[in-house]
Amino acid sequence: MTLDQLLTDTKPALSQIYAEDLPELSQARDWQSKYRILMQLGRKLPPIPEKMKQPSLLVKGCESRAWLMHYYNQHQDQHFFVLDSEARIVKGLMAIMLSLVNGMSNAELKKFELAHAFDKLNLKPYLSQSRGSGLNAMMARIKDCCR
Amino acid sequence: MQPFDPVNFRGQFQFFQHNPGWVYLDNAATMHKPDVVVNAITSFYQRNNSNVHRGAHTLSQNATRAFEQARDDIATFINAGARQQIIFCSGATAALNQIAFGLMHTVLQPGDRVLITALEHHANIVPWQLHCSRFGVTLDVVPLDTEHKVDQQAFAELLALKPKVVSFSHISNVLGHIQPVAHMISQAKATGALTVIDGAQGIVHDKIDVQALDADFYVWSGHKLYGPTGIGVLYGKTAALELLTPIFAGGEMISEVNFSHSLFNILPFRLEAGTPDIAGAIGLAAACNWLQKINSEQVKNYKAMLLKQFFAGLKKIGGLDILSSPVHNAGIVALNVQGEHPADVAELLNQQAVAVRGGQHCAMPFFSQLGLAGAVRFSFAPYNTEADVATSLQALTQAAEILTA
Repeated sequence: MTLDQLLTDTKPALSQIYAEDLPELSQARDWQSKYRILMQLGRKLPPIPEKMKQPSLLVKGCESRAWLMHYYNQHQDQHFFVLDSEARIVKGLMAIMLSLVNGMSNAELKKFELAHAFDKLNLKPYLSQSRGSGLNAMMARIKDCCR
Repeated sequence: MQPFDPVNFRGQFQFFQHNPGWVYLDNAATMHKPDVVVNAITSFYQRNNSNVHRGAHTLSQNATRAFEQARDDIATFINAGARQQIIFCSGATAALNQIAFGLMHTVLQPGDRVLITALEHHANIVPWQLHCSRFGVTLDVVPLDTEHKVDQQAFAELLALKPKVVSFSHISNVLGHIQPVAHMISQAKATGALTVIDGAQGIVHDKIDVQALDADFYVWSGHKLYGPTGIGVLYGKTAALELLTPIFAGGEMISEVNFSHSLFNILPFRLEAGTPDIAGAIGLAAACNWLQKINSEQVKNYKAMLLKQFFAGLKKIGGLDILSSPVHNAGIVALNVQGEHPADVAELLNQQAVAVRGGQHCAMPFFSQLGLAGAVRFSFAPYNTEADVATSLQALTQAAEILTA
C-alpha cells in the first residue's frame, strides 16, 4: 500500500459519502439510525495500514488516536488527504469533514470554517458533542497543511 | 448515627432534580454535592467572608475560627493524631507534587530509589518522574499480576532494593480494586521506607483511620468525597511533614522574611503558602461532618448491592471484556465491548443519557501494558439507584447492538 493508492481509494469514497450518505444522515429519524450511518460512513474510508501509521502522522488532542496523511498537487493547487481513527464514530465524523475539504485549493482551505459548514448541513450538534473526540484537532491539523 | 436511607440520601442532592433524565455513573471522576455542602459554602461567603490569620478585626478572627474548625473536623474525620497534620491543598495531585518535590534532598539523595506500582494514576507517576530524573533518583514500578492486581511477590522483591519512598494508591481509579494497603504499608515500613498513599478513591469508600493505617502520608481530593473542587488534604505524620521542603513559598508560610533569608513558619502553615481556599475547606468539612452522621457500613453494603446487581446484569450481555473483578471492588467497573473502541461505547451511552468515562483514565501505562486503547468506566455512588443499574445495563446492551450490528 502506498500513499498514492490510499489517495486514489479515498477520493471515490468521499464523493459517495457527500452525495449519498450526507442526505441520508439528515433524514435519519432517531439517534440509533444516525449513529449507524455515521459508523458505516467511517468504514468506507480505506484504513491506513498499521505499518504506515508513523508517530508523526498522529493527531494529538484526541481521546482516541487518529492519523492524517497529506498530498498537495502543486500544479493544480489541490490538497488531498487520507485519514484514519481507531474510534468508529469519530472516524465517521472525520470522513464527513474530509468529504467537504478534500481537493480544495490552498485559498479555499484557508478560508474553510468547519463550524459554519457543519451548521449548514445541520451537523452542528455532532461538532459540539465531539469536542473531546479530536474533530477540531484534526481540522487544525488539516489547516496546518496550507501553504 | 442515622441509618442510611437511599431515597432520603439521594434527595439531598439538588443536581438530580435539575438533571432528572441522567444516570450519573462517573463518580470516580467527581461526585455530586449535597445541600449541606453547598449551603456551607454559600453561607460562608454571605455571612463570614474575610481573609484568615491576618486581620486584626473581628471578622477575620471569625473566618479564621471557621477555617481552623474545618481543619479540626477533618482531623477528626480521618482520626489524625494532631490538627497540624492536616495540610490543605488543591487536591491529591497538588499533595503528591508537594510530597515528591518536598522529599528530594531532605530524604532522597542521588542514587536512591522510589517505588510505585503499575496501577497508579498519572498524578502518582509524573511528579515522581519529574523530580526523580532531576535528582538522580531511580523510580521502580511494581508490575501487575494476571488479575490486574499489584503483584505482591514482585512488590516484596522490589522492596528488597531498599527504596526510601514507597507510593501507591489505596484503590485503583481504573478498576476499583482495593489494594491490601495495611499489609503493603507494614511491609514497606519494615524496610524503613516512607509510605505515601494516594487516597483519592479510597477516602470515599471506607472509613479511614490514618493512625491505624500507619502510613506516613495519606492524600485525597475533596471533590471525590462530596466536597467542592479545588480543595484537598495532605495528611502526614508530623515527623514526615517536617521532612518536606515547601513547593510553594509566599505569604503565611514564613515567620520572618528579610532579603537575605526567611524563616519558615510552623506546621501546618509552612506548607500552606498564600490565602487558602477558605470556603473550600469549610465546604469539605461540612461534607465530612455530614458523612460522620450516616451509618457507613450500611452505605458500603448498599453500594456493594448495586455493584452485585450490575455485575449480574453484565453476565447477561455477551461480548464484553470485563477488566474489573467483583471481589475487593470499591464500586468501579472497567470494561470493553469486544473489538470496539471505548470512546464509541461511551458516546453511545452518552446519547442515552448515561454518564460514564471512556478512555485511559489518566493511567496510560496501565493500558499500554494490556495493549488496550482504554476502557469504559462505570463508577457507582450511594446516591445511585437500582433503576440506574437497570438503565445503564439496558443502554450498554443497546450500544453493543449498534456497534456490532
